[in-house]
Amino acid sequence: MSVVDYTQELSVVEGKPPLRSIDELISRPLNTKPTKAYYIALTVTLSMLGIGVIGLLLSFYYGTGMWGNNNPVGWGFPIVNFVFWVGIGHAGTLISAILFLLRQKWRNGIARFAEGMTIFAVMTAGIFPAIHVGRPWLAGYLFPYPNQHSLWPNFNSPLLWDVFAVSTYFIVSFVFWYVGLIPDFAVLRDRATTKIKKTIYSVTSLGWRNSNRHWQHYEMVYLVLAGFATPLVLSVHTIVSFDFAVAVLPGWHSTIFPPYFVAGAVFSGFAMVQNVLIIIRKIFKYEHIITIDTLEKMNKIMMLTGMLVGYAYAMEFFIAWYSGNPIEQFTFVNRAFGPYAWAYWIMVSCNVLMPQLFWFRKIRRTIPVMFVIAVFVNVGMWFERFVITVTSLANDFLPSSWAYYKPTLVDGAILLGSFGFFFTWVLLFSKTLPVVSIAEIKSVIDGSQPSHGEH
Amino acid sequence: MSSVSEIEYTKKSIPAPLRNAGFVLLAVGLVLSLLGIFTDPQRSAFNNIILLMMLISVSVGSLFLISLEYIAGAVWSTPFRRIFEHLASIVLVLPIVALPILFNLHDVFHWMHQEVMDADPILQSKAPYLNETFFLVRVGFYFAVWILFYFLLTSNSKKQDKTKDQKLTKRNITISAIFLPVFALTISFAAIDFMMSLEPHWFSTIFGVYYFSGTVLASLSAGTFIMVYLSKKNLLFKGISEDHYYSFGALLFAFINFWAYIAFSQFLLIWYANLPEETVWFLQRWEGSWMYISILTIIVHFAVPYFGLLSQPSKMNPKRLASMSLWIIFAHYLDLYWIVMPTFSESGFVFGWIEIGYFILGLGIIISVFVFKASKGNLIPIGDPKLKRGINFRL
Repeated sequence: MSVVDYTQELSVVEGKPPLRSIDELISRPLNTKPTKAYYIALTVTLSMLGIGVIGLLLSFYYGTGMWGNNNPVGWGFPIVNFVFWVGIGHAGTLISAILFLLRQKWRNGIARFAEGMTIFAVMTAGIFPAIHVGRPWLAGYLFPYPNQHSLWPNFNSPLLWDVFAVSTYFIVSFVFWYVGLIPDFAVLRDRATTKIKKTIYSVTSLGWRNSNRHWQHYEMVYLVLAGFATPLVLSVHTIVSFDFAVAVLPGWHSTIFPPYFVAGAVFSGFAMVQNVLIIIRKIFKYEHIITIDTLEKMNKIMMLTGMLVGYAYAMEFFIAWYSGNPIEQFTFVNRAFGPYAWAYWIMVSCNVLMPQLFWFRKIRRTIPVMFVIAVFVNVGMWFERFVITVTSLANDFLPSSWAYYKPTLVDGAILLGSFGFFFTWVLLFSKTLPVVSIAEIKSVIDGSQPSHGEH
Repeated sequence: MSSVSEIEYTKKSIPAPLRNAGFVLLAVGLVLSLLGIFTDPQRSAFNNIILLMMLISVSVGSLFLISLEYIAGAVWSTPFRRIFEHLASIVLVLPIVALPILFNLHDVFHWMHQEVMDADPILQSKAPYLNETFFLVRVGFYFAVWILFYFLLTSNSKKQDKTKDQKLTKRNITISAIFLPVFALTISFAAIDFMMSLEPHWFSTIFGVYYFSGTVLASLSAGTFIMVYLSKKNLLFKGISEDHYYSFGALLFAFINFWAYIAFSQFLLIWYANLPEETVWFLQRWEGSWMYISILTIIVHFAVPYFGLLSQPSKMNPKRLASMSLWIIFAHYLDLYWIVMPTFSESGFVFGWIEIGYFILGLGIIISVFVFKASKGNLIPIGDPKLKRGINFRL
């Protein structure tokens, strides 16, 4: 193992590529015709989406009886999927906003893509609250507006807070993403060869001329938006955790839920971003921009958040015992050894045990291995939401009403469809917009920083 | 601002005013607390818990900040790491501070009375955890682990002053990686043992995280205050910049928010669910004049430092940093007081010379231990490979 020289700052971009080559490299996917592989990938995701749409139509036509939800388990797949997808979105904002505030330069290569994934993940997540009662045409009543029925939402309910939190989060994330894109649109405009492209990029770049004043305003806006996005992203998953934790149901009502959910969201989000970026950097030849060092840092964050989640599992278990409350104790023993023990142990092994492999530097830097671990993390995080949602409901206070929850094919189709929806957007994004920020990458190439006479 | 190519550091002695202040505070605090032990042993024992938790916050919190720097590869904080290493040495006096409590366990912990346990089936079910022997074993374990990691981390750093060996940095990174999970568990269970079990019926899964947020604030603000003081006396290095100050201010600000977030989460969830076994803890803190302390905690621990450090210039202003960090140390004391004392005085708060005495003793120990360690060693880690980068740090 080589010894790192701590006296020097390592560049986050490998080599010292000329700035012009960055324009070239990042705009190339936008200027070339899609390959066959791209169309195949798009066909796959669109088919998945189609299956999901069929599942949805069946649900709307026949009703939610098509789902596995039963009498005690009123919240099944839709809520599990909602929490899962909102969680996926969190890594994007963590990378683009929080790591920006922390001046982490390595984020510059991955921030654009991660932020894009945030937007798509939130869109995907948004489907589920709208459909989960089976009457999506009534979802408009979630917004408090004066109407002729004098119907108002329940302002005491975290489910309503979700509506505000998630929609605000979506808007701010979108604006943040767009603001970051403006200088890149200008680059694309200046390189455009056709009239149509020139017109489109001229409009979207909002008259950007790279003037000093533009940059000054841009950096201020970017910083302010990052400052807004940071508490927002934490509030979103906090409120999602409130959906469960304000209830008096054992297994849901736990004070550690807010930070535990946020950590879990970042955990799964990083796993998803890492998975997608590994493929993107290979196909687009971005290996020197999204370096192994960057991936290693992401793996370290996954390891950290995985252990935070593990801490929460352990603390919940301990306090359930310590509380001396037999119902609380039963819930946790039932989770680990009851009818859903299989789901519980999938969750523990994927979320807590698998990331422990990242203790080894070799594994943190081996792409196939880290890819597989991150896939397991996402499986585990989906099962975490399943365990929380289903086990507490299935075996509630009245043993006479206990029932086993069994998802149906339609549930599976909608879950598959959500992946299709998400990855269709990811694919479209990768061919229509610069997936790495041109301006931000240029700023971290060696030699482009203002020097303090240290050369 | 020009950058530093060679580090200029000459060791100077710690200014006499700080040394004397530490000595006076220590002496007055000792006298008052000893008087307290003779006049009101039970009340003193509760104050002793606050004192112990305060010192754990500053010392073990400093260990956390040290390992955080290593594990995150942070550079800006390297020139100041030695301050935290000196503060961390307070772990060595923790067993002495804990000793009076160990002689007064029955005055403090309700569950240590056999007749109370026998009469209460809920407490009986907790007996495998809440019993005197296991309690003492755990406390001994926490102290041993903290002292062990203190020696591991600081001895390598000190060695580096002479050898300038980069391998020592690498070794400390490994030690930090091992320490952080250990820290998370020990600090949480120390909080449960010393503070949550004061009300043995009550439980909250977030309690460990809540105390953790306070430990970081206490250690960080102690370090920030000392940093500003030393740099004002020109005892650190030349070229300390606004960006350094800003980093301290931003981190303090972040943890002010983190504390508020955790405290609010705990409160909201318990208030909303309204289960009697959980609300009892907050209701106790709303009883009689405790209500004022509860409201005061929100203002002192959140509102004032939040607005005090909100703007960018205030984070860069060393004067503001110094005043805010002193304020936050007091706020952390208030927080601990609010957690611990309602068990002692249920109908309303009591605050008198015993409380003041223990608070002064705490300040005295922090300053005196720091002065003692700082006059023996260097104030900056002169052999650290990241030092030069840290001094030249710009945002």
